[in-house]
Amino acid sequence: MTSAPPAVVTGVRRRFGAGPPALDGVDLELRAGEVHAVLGENGAGKTTLMRILAGLDEPDEGSVVVAGEPVTEFTPRALRERGVAMVQQHFTLVPTLTAGENLALARPEGRLRPGARRVRRRVEALAQRYGLPVRADVPVDRLSVGEQQRLEILRALDADARLLILDEPTAVLVDAEAEALLAVCRALAAEGRAVVIITHRLAEVFAGCDRVTVLRRGAVVCAGEPVSAHDRTSLATLMVGAVPAPPLSIERPARSGVIRIALDGAARGRLRPLDLEVHAGEVLGVAGVDGNGQAELEDLLAGIAAPQQGTVCVEGTEMPVGAPRERVGKRVAYVPADRYRRALAGPLSLADNLELGRGPSRRAPRGRREEQAVPALAAWDVRAAGPGASAASLSGGNAQKLVLARELGVGPAVVVAAQPTRGLDPEAARMITERILAAAADGAAVVWFGAELDELFAVADRLVVLADGIATPFEPPYDRAAVGMAMAGGAGA
Amino acid sequence: MTLTRDPAPAGQQAPDGLVGKALRGPADRSPLGLVAVPLLALLGALVVGGVLMAVEGVAPLSAYGEVVRGVFGRTRGLVDTAVIATPLVLLALGITVAYRARVFTIGAEGQYIAGALAGTAWATVGPLPGLPAPVLVVSSLAVAVLAGAAWSGVTAWLQSRFGASVVITSLLLNYVAAAVLAWAVRVGMRDPGSFTPQSRQVGDAALPDLPGTAIHLGFLFALLAVPTVAAVLRRTRFGFRVEVLGANPDVLAATEARPSRTRLWVLAVAGALAGLAGFVEVAGVTGRMTQAFAVGYGFTAIIVALLGRLRPLGVLAAALVMAGITVGFDEAERVFVIPSATVGVIQALIVVFFVTGDALSRRRLRRREGA
Repeated sequence: MTSAPPAVVTGVRRRFGAGPPALDGVDLELRAGEVHAVLGENGAGKTTLMRILAGLDEPDEGSVVVAGEPVTEFTPRALRERGVAMVQQHFTLVPTLTAGENLALARPEGRLRPGARRVRRRVEALAQRYGLPVRADVPVDRLSVGEQQRLEILRALDADARLLILDEPTAVLVDAEAEALLAVCRALAAEGRAVVIITHRLAEVFAGCDRVTVLRRGAVVCAGEPVSAHDRTSLATLMVGAVPAPPLSIERPARSGVIRIALDGAARGRLRPLDLEVHAGEVLGVAGVDGNGQAELEDLLAGIAAPQQGTVCVEGTEMPVGAPRERVGKRVAYVPADRYRRALAGPLSLADNLELGRGPSRRAPRGRREEQAVPALAAWDVRAAGPGASAASLSGGNAQKLVLARELGVGPAVVVAAQPTRGLDPEAARMITERILAAAADGAAVVWFGAELDELFAVADRLVVLADGIATPFEPPYDRAAVGMAMAGGAGA
Repeated sequence: MTLTRDPAPAGQQAPDGLVGKALRGPADRSPLGLVAVPLLALLGALVVGGVLMAVEGVAPLSAYGEVVRGVFGRTRGLVDTAVIATPLVLLALGITVAYRARVFTIGAEGQYIAGALAGTAWATVGPLPGLPAPVLVVSSLAVAVLAGAAWSGVTAWLQSRFGASVVITSLLLNYVAAAVLAWAVRVGMRDPGSFTPQSRQVGDAALPDLPGTAIHLGFLFALLAVPTVAAVLRRTRFGFRVEVLGANPDVLAATEARPSRTRLWVLAVAGALAGLAGFVEVAGVTGRMTQAFAVGYGFTAIIVALLGRLRPLGVLAAALVMAGITVGFDEAERVFVIPSATVGVIQALIVVFFVTGDALSRRRLRRREGA
């Protein structure tokens, strides 16, 4: 019965929208009794692949064989019945119910709501069996993050999962908890289950995994090789690639020396106190894996949130917080990482979206406003039905061009661009990159948050890597392996 | 150590569910769907209402004929329709502004009472007796507007300070206002010369009739408020922020203004219009405050705003229709033996059919796209 491998994935392709494919012909074989690490940068396709295995997504092409039989129906229920369980990065527990009630909800025994004692026993039995302690009779929202994580895993094991997928399980855990979790994973594998851990952290791969698969831009660059055959450097290189950076398409003058942005011991949330200066004409790249302080730094630079300590200054005066029109008045352009959440009002027209944060208190009639929007839309090649079309109707590339058309409209003094090319087709990405660099050439100080190192190496004059909220500076020529190591939290090595 | 905390964005989104769904409008945003669904809902409600009347032994067509005659067959019918429509238009315009920003207040009733009470208090027991009539009218209206805005502002403050749901606090403040009304007419500003609990007459603060009609001046306010609110929504930065807040509060925060401040202004405007409606009703119709002053216009106005598709002109049309139905049935009840609850049943059916019609049109569109 255990002869068939728990899961075999062959030639799986998946594409979202018009951008590059998220998965481009991926093969993966998972074996019973092993802990398998899946590594890769943000957007490399790790989560997409695992979501397909868990039935949360469907491949465009390729086959998935689970427990010896090909999967035809990609639904969470169908795959759960075949013994696949996934613990997602974002918890899916009901916060007001207790641990036991959450388990009973996932796998009911009969129609009645089970009694408190009974569900508590169920949790305690499971917790003891797998060595994952969870308080049974407290509402989930009062459990610690680690406990919630353990409960998620218990819930998966409660359904007797043969293949357990953990999406970045240690991202929210403290070190001791992470170590304990890895030990549990080893024990589960020893029982003959297959465990997959998606991670960014190289240290964990060496601490507890048998084999490792590395994804890069939707393709497998290291297919299930034994961990013992690798060291940190080789994995870091595989993760970030070894392709030479393409030459810059724009010649830019050397930095002019005027300090446009100055952070003095600024800290917020996960971001530890940071000193940073960005000069006019300079592009500072910020690299790092999600959840290491970039979001906080982005908020500080864009005036969304105030630093909990220290100061953020733009051109010598403090950054206005929660006053976006003042931010625009200081010519700080902000291209947020999540453009649909922060930059575009979907139901409103393109003309209205161009007017956000700008424009007089008395507005012109709609016809004239839309007329005035036409030149900007044309200059940025925003392809849409017209200035009256809704922003939600735009494709990703055109939506981002619309954001830049607005933010870079008046020559900016500062550009805060968070993953400005994420998910875009190459043509749109290239245009946006060139225009941001052109703004820098015109004297803007640019902070570019990037997910892909190739891109950052190409655009950035200097690089800062954030890991655990601590910044490590790098100067060109960049050492790809060293940067990759710093991103994976192994700066000390 | 700071005492302020970020209001939970999730808490703000939660009440969107039901009301938000009802307000999403037709599936394809076509002009046909905008108008056809409300009209069909009206028709359907009248058909079902007719069946109910037939069950009661009343010939529906002659009853409806009497309803139409009750409105259009006599001057009094048209006058009454305009008078009833007046507070509905003002209240529903305020609700329109709020709901466009997806600030789902249901406190119009309380703001209406607060405005009426404050205006009446100013006019009857105010600190400046003996003001000339025009000054008294204008100052009383101003007091009413401010009182309505303040009453509504409490909701905004509770939200930004404690993260309390606008839906809940605005609803509960209605009961506070009703209690204040009961106290005011019995104790606070009771007419000492009256046996029943009621305030003094507003006297010189009463609104004159429009020349040549029996309709009080307030109807003109309502008519003027329609293009004014339309212009504010379309042509001012505040109107733009209302739309952006409704579309995406995070975008508003990142590019335009603090959502909490915009929300405060939105609620203040809604409350101001409700307060205005309140005192207009006192000064134009009742002449004084009594316990019976609150008849639920603040809730009917939500229906009016909904049927008017959150558009000022639509609100005017919907208010006139609702007022017309009320007046017409009032007349028909005198002629036929129709239970007085019939008009309420029909108004409720309009809403049911309206919401169902929108849901059906959305589902059909989804099917078409899914196929």
